[in-house]
Amino acid sequence: MAIHWPLLVRRTHKWLALVVGVQALLWTLTGLYMVAVHIDIIHGDHLVRAPAAQPFDLDGFVAPSQVVAAAPGVSELRLQRFAGEPVWRAETPEGAQLFDARSGAPLPALTESQVREQARRIYTGDGKIVSVRLLTIAPQEMQARQPPYWQVEFEGWNRPTLYLSPTTGELISRRHALWRVFDFAWMLHIMDYDERTDVNNPLLRIATWSAFAMAISGAWLLIWSFKRRKRKPA
Amino acid sequence: MKRIRLTPLFFRRIHKWVGLILGLQFLLWALSGSVMALLDKDKVGGHGAGMTHAHPLPAGDYVDVAALRRGEAITGIVLRDLGTRPVYEVQSAKGVRLVDATTGADIRVDAAVARDVAAMMNDAPIRDVSVLPKANLEARDHAGAMWRVDFADAENSSAYVSLDTARFLVMRGDTWRTWDFFWMLHNMDYVNRSSFNHPLIIFVAFGTLWMSGTGFYLLFKSFSRADFRWLRRRRKPVVVRSAP
Repeated sequence: MAIHWPLLVRRTHKWLALVVGVQALLWTLTGLYMVAVHIDIIHGDHLVRAPAAQPFDLDGFVAPSQVVAAAPGVSELRLQRFAGEPVWRAETPEGAQLFDARSGAPLPALTESQVREQARRIYTGDGKIVSVRLLTIAPQEMQARQPPYWQVEFEGWNRPTLYLSPTTGELISRRHALWRVFDFAWMLHIMDYDERTDVNNPLLRIATWSAFAMAISGAWLLIWSFKRRKRKPA
Repeated sequence: MKRIRLTPLFFRRIHKWVGLILGLQFLLWALSGSVMALLDKDKVGGHGAGMTHAHPLPAGDYVDVAALRRGEAITGIVLRDLGTRPVYEVQSAKGVRLVDATTGADIRVDAAVARDVAAMMNDAPIRDVSVLPKANLEARDHAGAMWRVDFADAENSSAYVSLDTARFLVMRGDTWRTWDFFWMLHNMDYVNRSSFNHPLIIFVAFGTLWMSGTGFYLLFKSFSRADFRWLRRRRKPVVVRSAP
């Protein structure tokens, strides 16, 4: 029997669509969301302000070697400000730790009221703080970031949430509704429903190649379906 | 005026015409998505930070920070170890200076320093070292002048090292380069390869949604009970041929 190509390809296209049609629809839907909402908005750049660069008065600082000695394994000392005062931020294998730049004394962990102040300083909006919690278990939206950290939630339709370090008060992450939708869209896009990070999972590989075959067969059908049907000369 | 009737034929026409105009991009999305799903993400690498060496700072005396001023307003200081010696990164309005933290001498990040820094990230022999006045496509996430250190390994790895701070910036290999080509096809930013929020892709994504939407609808119109008869028993299909 001669193969009737248009019919065979149409069947292929149809059956492949039955298998990956829902996913193709999800890909285009989630893809549209991800391209339409600018990534800077998703990242929440508009929610936070970076501290302005201000010159330091370097007189009367404790010798850095003293801070190095006080923070075992420290790999980096960074001069910054905490609540307006100069501090050394020490990066150690156990995490970051602040030291008063004038006395060299380690700064204690932040109190809740300090966390509130710090969050207010960073946040650009006017909304009130709804909740402040010290988390020891990572919520889904913090992905691989290791707790503990403070979670400060603000009032507003998009539920802006800042995550601050308990030892340095620095901003670890910011989340809001559009980010959460993006993350969900990303999960649907890469078909990793657990961790939302594995772009090499077998399900995705099978689905993408099936979609490719569906698209190729569709392209082939296009040529056929736009062809002018000429009558054979008698 | 002819009234538009929402018949399967109408949706089939949308499917066909959007397919004709935007179908190629859908095909490229499917292809590039497939290839990116195949390329091992650990070999692609280069995403995010985390791939840096941290050396513990040695105990001992460091140059007094007040001596770093030299008449400039200092907006930031970082003390860290290059792996060979501790250094200060001194930030001012003029940019960043690198200062030897034990002698106080200025450090120029030359090819030898770049080699040392890059070699900590890759054991393969170094093939070539060159300087870039600004980032190329591979190092596009980083600003400023930089060294490119090429390795003679299977991946043809290239390490990028900042010319100002001697910091290791990023490592790129052939798997990443392949990935990046397909990522360009996916995000349709053919010049910079970095943005996926430009008008072209938003337009095409919106259009393609019509193709997948109508296609999904047509699934319900294209399948009949007869299509699933084979699930119960094999029967010779009835082939209807169009007139020649």
